Amino acid sequence: MQTVTIKPKKEIRISVEAENISPDKFAGKTEKDILSMEAWMGNHKTTLGELFSVMVEGSGPAADTKIVMDGDFSRIKRIGEGMTAGLIMIKGNVDMHLGAKMSGGKISVTGNVDSWAGREMKGGELIIEGNAAYYLGAGYRGETCGMRGGKITVLGSALDFLGEHMCGGEIIVKGNAGILPGLSNNGGKIVIEGNTSRPGSEMAKGTIIVNGTVDEMMPVFKAEGTEAVDGITYRKYTGDVIVNGKGVLYVK
Amino acid sequence: MELLIKNGAVYDPFNGIAGDKTDISIKDGKIVDKVSSSASVIDAGGRLVMSGGVDAHSHIAGAKVNVGRIMRPEDTRSGIKPRTKITRPYTGYTVPNVYAMGYRYAQMGYTTVFEAAQAIMKARHTHEELEEIPIIDKGALTLFGSNWPTMDYVREKNMDKLAAYVAWGLLASRGFGIKCVNPGGGEMWGFGKNVTGLDDVVPNFDVTPAQIIVSLMKANEMLGLPHSVHLHCNNLGKPGNYKTTLASMELAKQVKPSKDRQVLHVTHITFNCWGGTNWGDFESKADEIANYLNNSENVTTDMGQLIFGSATTMTADGPVQYANAKLLHAKWANGDVELEDASGVVPIFYARQVSIHAIMWAMGLELALLTKDPYKVLLTTDHPNGGPFVNYPEVIALLMSNKKRQEEIKTLHEAVHKRTKIPGIERELDFNDIAIMTRAGSAKVLGLLDTKGHLGVGADADISIYDIKPDQIDPSVEHAKIKSAFQSAAYTIKGGEVVVKDGQITATPMGRTFWVDATVPEEQTEIMMKDIRMKFKNYYSISLANYMVQDAYVTHPKVVKAGVIPVEVS
Repeated sequence: MQTVTIKPKKEIRISVEAENISPDKFAGKTEKDILSMEAWMGNHKTTLGELFSVMVEGSGPAADTKIVMDGDFSRIKRIGEGMTAGLIMIKGNVDMHLGAKMSGGKISVTGNVDSWAGREMKGGELIIEGNAAYYLGAGYRGETCGMRGGKITVLGSALDFLGEHMCGGEIIVKGNAGILPGLSNNGGKIVIEGNTSRPGSEMAKGTIIVNGTVDEMMPVFKAEGTEAVDGITYRKYTGDVIVNGKGVLYVK
Repeated sequence: MELLIKNGAVYDPFNGIAGDKTDISIKDGKIVDKVSSSASVIDAGGRLVMSGGVDAHSHIAGAKVNVGRIMRPEDTRSGIKPRTKITRPYTGYTVPNVYAMGYRYAQMGYTTVFEAAQAIMKARHTHEELEEIPIIDKGALTLFGSNWPTMDYVREKNMDKLAAYVAWGLLASRGFGIKCVNPGGGEMWGFGKNVTGLDDVVPNFDVTPAQIIVSLMKANEMLGLPHSVHLHCNNLGKPGNYKTTLASMELAKQVKPSKDRQVLHVTHITFNCWGGTNWGDFESKADEIANYLNNSENVTTDMGQLIFGSATTMTADGPVQYANAKLLHAKWANGDVELEDASGVVPIFYARQVSIHAIMWAMGLELALLTKDPYKVLLTTDHPNGGPFVNYPEVIALLMSNKKRQEEIKTLHEAVHKRTKIPGIERELDFNDIAIMTRAGSAKVLGLLDTKGHLGVGADADISIYDIKPDQIDPSVEHAKIKSAFQSAAYTIKGGEVVVKDGQITATPMGRTFWVDATVPEEQTEIMMKDIRMKFKNYYSISLANYMVQDAYVTHPKVVKAGVIPVEVS
């Protein structure tokens, strides 16, 4: 078992590309190794050691590596990018692209996350106790597949375009979601406990369940009567008919 | 500036050198007889030396390449390499940025590349990009196949006017030769239709694709252009189109070449040697095309080899791209170039387990391996339609090693066994064949053999040295070594300057842009221009003054003279 504890040394105002903060990169590494790892701050190349204090206990493979981050990480991007195993526990807020392209392991955040969290993730789990910003679990510009697998849970709310181009996996939002969740999605499951607007536009496959109110429905769905899911009766719609979609939308 | 390359195993098929230890002397950017003792020396140490690679068909610059970049931001995320003291940043895989185009070609040992299609109206854009592509020499072929003036003059059977229009069109676009894409089809796509064969009549113009092709070939030979007509056949992308391709090749018999080269170059055969009647009985007829090539003169082709993975199809063939986008549910960009042509861009992913893609993969290889004379089949991937040009080393390895092909076939859809002949073809090409398909042949097809594609005295000092000792390697077994050596040249020398060493860019001189200045009698141009001025007045959205590519767009020109009047070479 290896535990790495990271704390900011100072207030960070310029965004930092921190794709090196990941159990895969830290596994079996000493404090000195980690302190000298590269990180770009704006257009300036620096090291993790310049920005953070790092404490390492024990040593182990990625699957047995736990990273504990304590403090304000609201300008730190790409934490856990591409991680395959292990655990990251963040006490605080983080910047964009948290857990992008991750395929395994688990990330939990007590605060809020900025846009593109879980972008194109293939597996693993992401738990956000605060709110998520735009494009949660989406595909980056031009990509035809966003999230392909794994699970994202948001205890707060999420902003617009969550699960855009989603091809698999599951997103659960306990609060409200912004406009156009599941835009152009092609698989996967989205559950929104709160309110949203215009869900499932251009969807080809996949399932969207909305437990709150839908402010506005896109006029591209075919009504299929009612259906009970987990004991709750929903109005069922299929579409988007414009793209010959086979997606399913459940609205209370 | 003098340079001597010693101890190279030189493959220079045009001069009949096949692996001999030959010294190459370079002075002032040209290959010369000998140099003084003060020349700097590169010891090739028995390694493979060839002339710089020449690519006769690639989409490297212009409107549709840029549309590809705009619609594929996800492509720009791959292949990123930050700037260095010498190089600018690289981005992209199928649609790289302009800098990566030049650097990546040079790193593979290529020094001359031709953009395969520019509409005259969009030529300024093409040249703006060409002017930013570093290192390599380049040029662009100009589209004439669906232009209104072309079709008018073909109907009127007025060859003088057609020749005058072609000459003027090359000047207006600073183009190098005649490209003809789905002749007639580009015009009909403006009405949502397409031609279905060589003898369909194009409405409003009353001409057939066959008439357009033959007339353009005749005009091409009247003008004595260095390159021949470069044809993208009708019916491309439709099962059963190999018959149209063969019929198009047959048209070449009606025209005599004015020079020692073909009269018709039929491009990217991978996309037009399709048998069957639908996607269910789709099969390869590359063997029929190869058979035709083996029994005829005056026609050349290139492979347009398919590469598995991401690609971006882009062509002036608008209707085929609409069909592609519908079939693939993919992103689609459509363009209309007023009186000249159509265009379309669609991204695609070629997968090993898709039967159509596996069969298409076999087509280019079958063509190259079943055609006896390598001068008749150039090595291309129709970048980025069949796949990005950075995969040429993969294609070279496939052509040189049956073992590699068999390993590859094991990973493909089983259709490759039943619908293609590739599993049973044992031929393996040697370094001489590869030098022809990537150098001497391309230069001959383009009509540039005086300075490109060989290492004789007087040729441009464009040379590549690869980390392979031809007498110590068995390409059939060590295909991985072949591939990696061709991926990063030990040296690339461009115009006598070392631009790549050990796969790294060491200098970035600006290459030249080749274009053809063809002269016709002035009175013919004047008569023809009356029609053109009328077209601009009535139909074009821009004025003639804003149409021509001015000299300011081509700051490193290399003018090749041609024309109906014999020209004194100064």
